[in-house]
Amino acid sequence: MLDGFEILTTSGVVLWSKSYAPLSSGLINGFIRDVFIEEKVLPSATTADDTSASQHSAYKREKYTLRWASVKDLGLIFVAVYQSLLHLSWVDKLLDNIRVLFVDLYGDQVRKPHSTVVECNFDDYFDQQVQELESSAEASQRTPQITRNDENLKTTPDEESEEPPPPIPGLLSGRKSPNSAAPSTDATPTSTPDTSRPSTPLNGHLLSAKATRGGTSRRARKAASGKPTAVDGLKEKSVGKAKGKQLRRWDADGMADEDEDVPLDYSATSDADSRPVSSAGVEPVDMAASGMRTSKGQYILKDLDDEVHSILQSAKQKNQRTETSKPTGVVGSSLGAISGLFRNVIGGKVLTKQDLEKPMKGMEDLLLKKNVAREAAVRLCEGVERELIGKKTGSFESIDTLLRTSLSSSLTKLLTPTTSLSLLTSITNITTTQQRPYTISIVGVNGVGKSTSLSKLAFFLLQNNLSLLIAACDTFRSGAVEQLRVHARNLKDLSDREHLGRVELYEKGYGKDAAHIARDAVAYAKDHNFDVVLIDTAGRRHNDARLMSSLEKFAELARPDKILMVGEALVGTDSVMQARAFNAAFGAKRGLDGFIISKCDTVGEMVGVLVSMVHATGIPVVFLGVGQHYGDLRTVNVGNVVGLLMS
Amino acid sequence: MAWTNSLSFMPEPTPVLILISVLLVVSIPLLLHLIIYSTTSDTLPTILLIGPSGAGKTALVTLLERGRPTATRTSQTPHTVEVSLPVKTPVASSRFRSPNDPTWEVTKKLLIQDTPGHGKLRHYAMDSISKPQSLQGIIFVVDAADLSSEAREGARQAAEYLHDVLLQLQKRATNSKSSRAPKEMPVLIAANKLDLFTALPAPLVKSTLESEITKLRKSLSAGLLDSGVGAKDLDVTEEHDWLGEVGDGPFEFSQLQEFNVQVKILAGNVTGVDGSDVKQWWNWIGSIL
Ligand SMILES: Nc1nc2c(ncn2[C@@H]2O[C@H](COP(=O)(O)OP(=O)(O)OP(=O)(O)O)[C@@H](O)[C@H]2O)c(=O)[nH]1
Ligand SMILES: [Mg+2]
Repeated sequence: MLDGFEILTTSGVVLWSKSYAPLSSGLINGFIRDVFIEEKVLPSATTADDTSASQHSAYKREKYTLRWASVKDLGLIFVAVYQSLLHLSWVDKLLDNIRVLFVDLYGDQVRKPHSTVVECNFDDYFDQQVQELESSAEASQRTPQITRNDENLKTTPDEESEEPPPPIPGLLSGRKSPNSAAPSTDATPTSTPDTSRPSTPLNGHLLSAKATRGGTSRRARKAASGKPTAVDGLKEKSVGKAKGKQLRRWDADGMADEDEDVPLDYSATSDADSRPVSSAGVEPVDMAASGMRTSKGQYILKDLDDEVHSILQSAKQKNQRTETSKPTGVVGSSLGAISGLFRNVIGGKVLTKQDLEKPMKGMEDLLLKKNVAREAAVRLCEGVERELIGKKTGSFESIDTLLRTSLSSSLTKLLTPTTSLSLLTSITNITTTQQRPYTISIVGVNGVGKSTSLSKLAFFLLQNNLSLLIAACDTFRSGAVEQLRVHARNLKDLSDREHLGRVELYEKGYGKDAAHIARDAVAYAKDHNFDVVLIDTAGRRHNDARLMSSLEKFAELARPDKILMVGEALVGTDSVMQARAFNAAFGAKRGLDGFIISKCDTVGEMVGVLVSMVHATGIPVVFLGVGQHYGDLRTVNVGNVVGLLMS
Repeated sequence: MAWTNSLSFMPEPTPVLILISVLLVVSIPLLLHLIIYSTTSDTLPTILLIGPSGAGKTALVTLLERGRPTATRTSQTPHTVEVSLPVKTPVASSRFRSPNDPTWEVTKKLLIQDTPGHGKLRHYAMDSISKPQSLQGIIFVVDAADLSSEAREGARQAAEYLHDVLLQLQKRATNSKSSRAPKEMPVLIAANKLDLFTALPAPLVKSTLESEITKLRKSLSAGLLDSGVGAKDLDVTEEHDWLGEVGDGPFEFSQLQEFNVQVKILAGNVTGVDGSDVKQWWNWIGSIL
């Protein structure tokens, strides 16, 4: 059983929701944060639109599993929530069908600019789908013997055929118009008549005159109030006609004399319906009636089935058609080409994978040229592409500008840290509330400038009158301790001269276990009232398993508040591997807290490493080394970096 | 004949061509209309809604739009909504109008732009501040109940965002090329969720935010300069930005008047058991139009 279902916009408004059990409001918010904003959970590589049996990605939080689908150009997200213990195989199909139904019924309202209001009475449609899919799933698990809802039994005990409904001739041709005002969704309705509607008996679908009128008129009203296209009219009529023919045989109320007129009468009736009462006013009554257990009520329910199925099927056919059909004839094709060109210039074009292919390649090359690792560049572009396919270009907006804004906003999102807690604030927090020194350790591969970066950081902290202990835990490379000693002496001179903070070096020579030295250094700092301990570690290749594995013990003993990894701005494709390996090296509970990118002054615009490393790990860049002096440490200005990348 | 020859350069009047020309004739005026029409709606006065995530911005927008709030979730994209000022709210521009004036009753339309408050998505709001065409005012929504917590975390984060916003507005004044001061920018700090008993009243919201900003700007000035990467950027930002009056004194919102930024703090609540109370905010909106 589902726990809840929600339809919301990317702007944050819940358009429709249903919950079967109380859900904490943090659940969906957390889901949005993790999946869409912080992108901790990457969507699977296959985009929803090219898998016909779309498997929607799942997200687990607390004891719940959430599955979702989206319609990008409308900014809609459909989320289904259920307990992870359950295995609800039909949720994917539910998401697909609900997406099609909702967009078909209310797409126009969602599209309306400067508004968040969507008047919808979606409950019955939703319930119908849940009931249908749930029972069909049950049926496929058990025997095909059908003993389901009593309406079915009552009306047509003998007609429980699982055949698809007969093709309705008018229906198909009616929907073939290329101009149909179809909602552009990335939906792939997978409902086939034989799988999605076994609980609907064939004849039930053709059952009632009254109901047909009541229900379709709802759609007709929509069409009348919106833009009545030829297609819509045709569709409605043919549906009506097909039903009308069978009607005489099945009308339970015995109103057979009316039948002949129903199809013809139809549009008039719906007009009459739509005129006196506003649609919003009418529907609740309909809905209430549909819940009743009277024979009439059942008819209305059946009618809802019809409506739902015709929507789903028409969307499916539309989909197939766009896949297969090519514009035919000279007029058709040249018209198509011209309108395509036109739209390219003036906007309003729905983007497809083909449109994006070339500009996407350009974007990717641009990123690669800026030294973004291939993996990150490809994934970033894929993300942008996923976002853009199915979108309409705005008026006078070329694909290129759309692409640029989209890429620049995803780069900004990527590089902006989730919290901007400054290092100084965290240090004061710890030293004042916990009376212990704040511990920072610096890791990285050989020769990237760990000790230099550490000294710059030390200088910055000294300038803020903090007292530092520098722990030399590189007990591996000869000369490392001496190098640090020189830095410490320089820093001491500097701070003596300018009356800055206090600095001291903690060293225990070579060969000893770095983790133990680090732990002792922290204890020493606590005894001697230091504010900050800066731990230098041995450089290690990220593929050196032995040295990398010692980092876990190091983290356990030294318990650093922050582990910063130094990476070189010059490094190429290796950056992604490095970042990943170090992030994973501290055990399951601990990861890196940030990057320091060194030697940024030497790369000009080629600042891609920032992107590669953040992309690989989701960990922010906290400092940049921009020169040879102690003062050459900077924080990241995301706007500037994005500007450089896009230039 | 010469002229018949020259005519033969003209394309044959195929059905395609005829169709195209008909299309062009029909579509150009249509397009022009669309363009003009779409630009006029942008000239409605716009008010920007910003603030930390979960402050109640989206809830407020839905309330202003339809008279009652709906359920909301964390926003990912900005969204602009058209709302009409309630008839009773006095509008500053009609102060001198006779109450018998027939146009008196006409409601005033305006646009409200909601922005996402999540840390990673604040660039939408910041971009909107820096290019204000029809921007009439800014409402900074803050969760007054969140400010009161012991850990100061909520207050610190709200202050940080507010600091960035105000600094941007201040830069607008200091960086403007022209000698005349930029248009006045009213800022409302909407202390929301006053229905909760832990919520701070407006004066306390003000003092809390002011004291947090005082601390923040101090620690920011002690912090590192930020930079893009290339060496050429380094020369540009060799100085820290400082919000408000320079010196050791505490920060006060009134210090921003010098930069034509008028800050006002008013309390209210969007949801709550006794309904919502946003009268003061409506009045503020009316007063700046
Ligand atoms: N008690 C109380 N709750 C409120 C009030 N206003 C909003 N909320 C709740 O606060 C939560 C967050 O509101 P949103 O409007 O989604 O927050 P937001 O500012 O749009 O947040 P982002 O979109 O993430 O930037 C919702 O659950 C609201 O119901 C209020 O006045 N009182
Ligand atoms: Mg919001």
